[in-house]
Amino acid sequence: MTKWSYPRIKTVGEDSVLVEFEEEVSPDINRKVRELASGIESHSLPGIMEVVPAYRSLMVFFDPFVTDVKEIFKLIDTLSKDSAGIQVSKRRVFKIPTVYGNRFGPDLKRVSKLTRLPAEEVIRIFSSEAYLVYCLGFLCSLAYLGGVPKILEVPRLSSPRPFVPAGSVGFSGSQANIVPIDQPSGFNYIGRTFVSVYNPEHFPPTLIQPGDYILCPSVSEDEARMAGERDLGDFVEDL
Amino acid sequence: MRYGIPPSGAMDQYSYRIGNLLVGNPENLASLEITLQGLKIEATASVTIAITGGDLNPCLNDYSAPQWAPLEMKKGDILHFRWRETGFRAYLAVKGGIDVPVVLGSRSTFLRGKIGTPLKEGAILCAGEVEDRKPIKWLGLSSEYIPDYRRRDPIRILVGPQNEYFTTEGFKTFLTCPYKITSQSDRMAYRMEGPPIEVTKGPGIISEPIARGAIQVPADGQPIILLRDAQVTGGYAKIATVVAADMDPLGQMPPGEFIRFEQIEREEALHLLLESRTRLSMARG
Repeated sequence: MTKWSYPRIKTVGEDSVLVEFEEEVSPDINRKVRELASGIESHSLPGIMEVVPAYRSLMVFFDPFVTDVKEIFKLIDTLSKDSAGIQVSKRRVFKIPTVYGNRFGPDLKRVSKLTRLPAEEVIRIFSSEAYLVYCLGFLCSLAYLGGVPKILEVPRLSSPRPFVPAGSVGFSGSQANIVPIDQPSGFNYIGRTFVSVYNPEHFPPTLIQPGDYILCPSVSEDEARMAGERDLGDFVEDL
Repeated sequence: MRYGIPPSGAMDQYSYRIGNLLVGNPENLASLEITLQGLKIEATASVTIAITGGDLNPCLNDYSAPQWAPLEMKKGDILHFRWRETGFRAYLAVKGGIDVPVVLGSRSTFLRGKIGTPLKEGAILCAGEVEDRKPIKWLGLSSEYIPDYRRRDPIRILVGPQNEYFTTEGFKTFLTCPYKITSQSDRMAYRMEGPPIEVTKGPGIISEPIARGAIQVPADGQPIILLRDAQVTGGYAKIATVVAADMDPLGQMPPGEFIRFEQIEREEALHLLLESRTRLSMARG
């Protein structure tokens, strides 16, 4: 059974409640967030519109004329005290074939220089690690991944690259991501997957969920392109 | 937002909904949001429309077009939004709604998210199926339901959630000084310019979910109001949230305008929200 330390609960605007746990990025704190989110959702309190989890906090959006904010505070309080029986989804890993380097890895040389590791070693270390999905966010179901090995931690670019193609795989500090759409970013991009991680025509628009793990194994360009013909769902396994 | 996609949709929800009601549509059918000026459209068949929101001097053929009332366009009629008079965004409702696919439960276009397509010159928009031939109830909306976009009321806010990141002086600056909406503003955010807001510590926080109308303050002390297309999570400290009742008037303020912020408490904000919902109900009749 998970033990909770008291989370901080506050109203934001008229129609949201922010719940904050300890101020750190860690799998344990993140699990508490996901468990609470799951608990609130399965309670089906009328008037709750959405529960959005993040790294160490979550936000409950509700209609203040259907549910009094005190009811939401009470629910969170109850769930915090007794979290036994809260179901969170099964642990899964997505193994997403990625081609590294050359024109798919514009920042590989930079990372190699900053870490003083040969490029092949950077690729080997990065692609062997399974990264925890802490949350989805930003604009298009961007999965925030954590757990980049310390030996690979490098800072963001001094100014963001204005155009990073969708599918680019990169990292900065302990965070990593796979870019869901063409967008600007200050992360260091070392590879690319052709498997689509975001599709607004589907519901949900990504199969990736907080609590999942992502692995980006290194493959050839041909294999990466072939993998791109398939659905993200083909690459998930239960842990 | 739990899938990391913003709500999007009309920046002035009241005007958009009233427009649909005026043509006898359900409130949530797709309309066109016209910003500033310039749009010219031609009816390829008879159609009932309504123009609401800001006054962008709409002209039907050679005559000034009535606003906040249903209007008939005949085949070949041209509607032109000539220049901005008041407000910033007008809404064109069409009987049957504009026929665009529903994606993730909405007909809104969100180009960054590859939802919907950008409008180009020569594009043809079709109206959806008109479900029944009920006569239009409204000959026009009485003036008490038409907002006055020339008013310059302060924008009311609720403080937080990162209150402890700002000094007393910082709050004083934020709540007493005028801030200009810069031209680097869009449906994602209004980037404001004015006296920098003093902070107690660095602007970075661990990324957390963002409410619409949140006002974040990066290192330069210049506030940014996050709007309907804004990112759903973010890592900058937030000083306040614009109250829901003031989001529509905010959506009608153009770049170049100055805003003053006024702090109120949650009780009052709820009262204002109830008032604005009631107004919409009464306009529905």
